[in-house]
Amino acid sequence: METFNNFLGGTAALFGDPMGVLIFFGGVIGGMLFGAIPGVSMLTLAAILLPFTAHLSAEHGIMLFSVIYCTGVYGGAITAILFNIPGAPENAPTAFDGYPMTLQGKAGKAVGAAVMCSAIGGVVSCIIMMIATAPIADWAISAFGPPEIFALVFFGLAVAASVGAKTFWKGWLSIMIGLMIAVVGLDPVGGIERYNFDMPYLAAGIHFIPTILGFFAVSEIFVQAEKKATGSYTAPKLSVDFPTFKELWAHKIAVVRSIIIGFFCGILPGIGATLAAFMGYNEAARWSKDRMEFGKGKLEGVISSETANNAATGAAMIPLLALGLPGGALTAMMVGVFQMHDMEPGPLVFINSPDLVWVVFAAMFFANVSILLVGFLEAKTIVNLLRIPFQFLAPMILLLATVGAYAVRGLTIDVVVMFVAGVAGFFLRRSGYSVAGIVLGLILGKIGEQTFAQAMQMLHFEFTGFFNRPIALGLLIAGALTILGSIYGAFFKKQPVPASDN
Amino acid sequence: MSKLRTGHIVEVAFWLLLVLFFFVYSFEFNQDIEIYKYGAAMWPRAILLLIAIAAIGQLLDQRRNGDRSSSNTMAKAHEDSAQESDNSSLGWYVSTFILLAIPFIYMVLPEKAASLMSVTDIAPGEAGIGRVKIICAAVLFAIYLMFSWRNHVGAILALPIFFAALLEDMGFYALAPVFIVGIMILMGERRINRMAMIMPFLYGLLMLFFVKLLYVGLPTGNVRPFYDFGNWVVTLLQ
Repeated sequence: METFNNFLGGTAALFGDPMGVLIFFGGVIGGMLFGAIPGVSMLTLAAILLPFTAHLSAEHGIMLFSVIYCTGVYGGAITAILFNIPGAPENAPTAFDGYPMTLQGKAGKAVGAAVMCSAIGGVVSCIIMMIATAPIADWAISAFGPPEIFALVFFGLAVAASVGAKTFWKGWLSIMIGLMIAVVGLDPVGGIERYNFDMPYLAAGIHFIPTILGFFAVSEIFVQAEKKATGSYTAPKLSVDFPTFKELWAHKIAVVRSIIIGFFCGILPGIGATLAAFMGYNEAARWSKDRMEFGKGKLEGVISSETANNAATGAAMIPLLALGLPGGALTAMMVGVFQMHDMEPGPLVFINSPDLVWVVFAAMFFANVSILLVGFLEAKTIVNLLRIPFQFLAPMILLLATVGAYAVRGLTIDVVVMFVAGVAGFFLRRSGYSVAGIVLGLILGKIGEQTFAQAMQMLHFEFTGFFNRPIALGLLIAGALTILGSIYGAFFKKQPVPASDN
Repeated sequence: MSKLRTGHIVEVAFWLLLVLFFFVYSFEFNQDIEIYKYGAAMWPRAILLLIAIAAIGQLLDQRRNGDRSSSNTMAKAHEDSAQESDNSSLGWYVSTFILLAIPFIYMVLPEKAASLMSVTDIAPGEAGIGRVKIICAAVLFAIYLMFSWRNHVGAILALPIFFAALLEDMGFYALAPVFIVGIMILMGERRINRMAMIMPFLYGLLMLFFVKLLYVGLPTGNVRPFYDFGNWVVTLLQ
């Protein structure tokens, strides 16, 4: 009852303030648009807006970012489905089936499923977030230390290695490339410069935003450009045929499973929506009767990925607000907003600024509801982007990506890094490597190393210490079994003929 | 029976050489950390070991299964993983490598050329180095056009990097229109009237949204007359 009263109080505060309403709707539309425009993402919008939040109140600034987070995660699905360009890493698994559906003329069905499932996942996640923030935060504090987080990162990477690349080995290599990129810069324990090659720019590490833009947006343009140059380009077919209620109801179990996966992945610091989407997709394929159909345009693939990543958005706010730990790139920027207002996210926020917390919770709830309302209208408009010939769309995407990469730090070298990553992504994709795996390795690399170092210090540099921590041990064993299973499959299972060869 | 091709061996050799290079370089920062006995080099070396294992595993897998080597159930059919292409001859790779090298040559050439020509005003923004940069850019662009004539895909890959390399000196405002037209041509557009309509539209849209509405400070460049043009556009819009 207290939760409900607090929610009503937050809602009244949100909609009783004209400036708050303006910022809320600005965030909803901005997040959806930036998520949906190929080549830029909600992170681009957030990076551009970050300096301007100094002129807003802390309440409005955090609320704006949380709304962009919810709607941007959904918006990124649109480009993943229509152009095979995930707006953010968490939308990467959506492209696995969403884009083949577009090529088959079922873009509308995929987008419609993304709208419905993003809204369902987000709303449920918000409700659980409001009810369970305190007890879950207490549990996470006591049960999840650095060994558990490291074990979870290991498990996540082991699972991701088996997704996205042509072979398990290439999937594993893709992740390792990402981990090596994350190594460049300062080491997280001693602050020692690594692989800087005497270049001052590399001393600070390679920023993830230009790298993500390069591997996803730019490399996709190059792949399509090659197809155009060689005459094998197929324009996506246009359709606004949304899925029926019956079609969605048939996947109710996938939705519930993805909500559970998404929420538990989202609540863990540093893991967030990306792993949620990969695991949601992976589990859907594992439990499906026609698992061989995944990757060829199966609606369940889009449903499971989009439900899971939006279910993670509400959960990701728990470690941020309760522990001060960002769950990903956007929540890390939220820490910046807090700091610009001389505040530190953490347990004290609940005591010192309960109004802020509940306005943010209410805004996130209504942002997810508005995905359902605005999303269908927006999707019908955005699907029309497919009518634009690619030779006119490509320069726009490349220039938007240029502005996005440059706006982060105001360095032209970031633009060079982005295009170099794009070229690298193009060649790696041609050879069957996974750009999504590289990006996941890049994002989780720093967290993995940091938590490994903390875990080893905690366990007095004894690896056997993991045996005394059941959750960490369980996750390590699960990760190791996933890898061993893939290796077994590689060497001892008879290989079926891939569909593309038929 | 072995199903290995030369390409498979080259791929594994590439990874192993990369591992060797980064392993040797790791001695540059292999320092002790008082509170962490593994030091700064342990984590990257562990990753390098895993890369080597995966590369050898890939080779063994390809030896057994050839190009149809093992795959997980989901990735098997998904298009993202392998874009087979006709552009895979040695000549294509050499010409693409030259095209990709051009922007990086531009990054070091003007300073070297200025010192050879005994140009004295070499601080960024000064006229002497500015002229050298324009000449270098023009010469390299001519070489780019020469190689891009027969290698469209390589040209598409290199043009954005060339654009990014020139951004610091020539600025976004002056380069963006040329870049838009360049990409459209490389993508196969030949209708001049269409390009004449689309280019100002895209450029105007970007300028209005980012410069006028969001006040994003894009690079104006430091070489005249590009610098003056960039400032003129910014003044006009803001």
